[in-house]
Amino acid sequence: MFNKTLLSCLIMTFSAGAYATQVPVMGNVESKCVVTQDVVGVFGNPQPGTLSTNPSDGGVMPIVRYDVVQASYYSARITHPNSFTESPALSDVVYWEGDTSVAQVSDPLMSDYDNTKIEYDNVTEVALTVAGSTWFKVDASATYGVGRALPGGSYQATVTAECIAI
Amino acid sequence: MLLCSSHSYSNEVFGVTQNATSFGYQWVMTNILPQQAGLQVNAVIYNYSVDKVTEDDFLVHVQNENAQGEGYIFRETDDWSGIPGNTINKNVAVPNIDISYWGLGSIETEGKGTVYDAGVYYSYQFDPCFDPQSNPSCPGYESPVDLNFEDASIYDPLADDMIQNELDRKANLKQQKEDEERRERLKIAQEAEERSGLESLLGIEETQYEFSEEQIALHQQLMALRGLPVGYLNSLVGGSYEDTITLKDKELPNNRRGLRVGLAQELKHQQLINLQYAK
Repeated sequence: MFNKTLLSCLIMTFSAGAYATQVPVMGNVESKCVVTQDVVGVFGNPQPGTLSTNPSDGGVMPIVRYDVVQASYYSARITHPNSFTESPALSDVVYWEGDTSVAQVSDPLMSDYDNTKIEYDNVTEVALTVAGSTWFKVDASATYGVGRALPGGSYQATVTAECIAI
Repeated sequence: MLLCSSHSYSNEVFGVTQNATSFGYQWVMTNILPQQAGLQVNAVIYNYSVDKVTEDDFLVHVQNENAQGEGYIFRETDDWSGIPGNTINKNVAVPNIDISYWGLGSIETEGKGTVYDAGVYYSYQFDPCFDPQSNPSCPGYESPVDLNFEDASIYDPLADDMIQNELDRKANLKQQKEDEERRERLKIAQEAEERSGLESLLGIEETQYEFSEEQIALHQQLMALRGLPVGYLNSLVGGSYEDTITLKDKELPNNRRGLRVGLAQELKHQQLINLQYAK
């Protein structure tokens, strides 16, 4: 009687070890491209109907920095503003102009980005072919109607800087 | 059991220098880096702008000479050839190079172009307890000698074995010299005495010769024959004989020749004395 009981217990023990299991594999990819806002832009108001970030107009150009650990894996996409995100009510059209260019480099070869950049609409795309840091400055201006003064109030626009894996 | 422990430790101090190019594109590092023992430079941060024609060749060297040898301890070259001018902003890590290696710093250019608005900064770190004696809280700090006389041990040089041995050695040398001189003097005295004894001995022989048996016999014969005068054996009465010489010239002039000789002798004497002290 005792022997049978022990045998059945052993069988139960062995059958418990036959279960299958699935082990998850976790991974995390951190981008090797970092975008940092270096300088906040300020609109100058050289004319009643004009707002500009150009220093000659009393403005400050916003500057963004791209840090790339490995060359030729990312491209920078910078969009200069074509509308106000905050402004008084405007009854006329606003004409936007903008330009993105290299402000500072950590390697002289990055200075050539101005020659290789691709521009369309209000977007500038630069293939980041050199590892290191590149500073881009954005010059943007807005002209209200034709010879019209902008209404008084607070105006705000946004520059979008993205790092895209190629 | 309650165990108490206390220890002090030192934290690394990190810092960045002022702009080395404040007074030109060549700088002396002793004026830039803090003169702290054990200081190490871990990075060089620089920026400058380049004005050039895109097609031109242009090289910019940011460098530091090796103060411990030839060449450069740090030299970063930026090649702007065929590239439009721009502003460069660079952070170059260096493997914690000791302050003693950092020599003259400079920005040099090659080719056509201009560098302007330059800035060079050195990131450094150092251990404030590199010299443990710099601060009592540093590990390994040793208190200086306490000037409290109750605790202070007085150093007696005469108790020093080395000094005592040297003194003994000198004393022995002096003693040996004195012994030697004493022996020399005794020897001289002994020789003099022997000489004197010999003379005496010789004197006795002369006496014996003077008063030989034949002479004594002859003397006795003469005495017996009364051949000798009566006063032969009488002794003369002694006394003093006064000087009767008188000098006519009371004043004698100085003998110049004699004076010269005297002076010469004195000079010679002085030279001989000096010879004793000459090495």
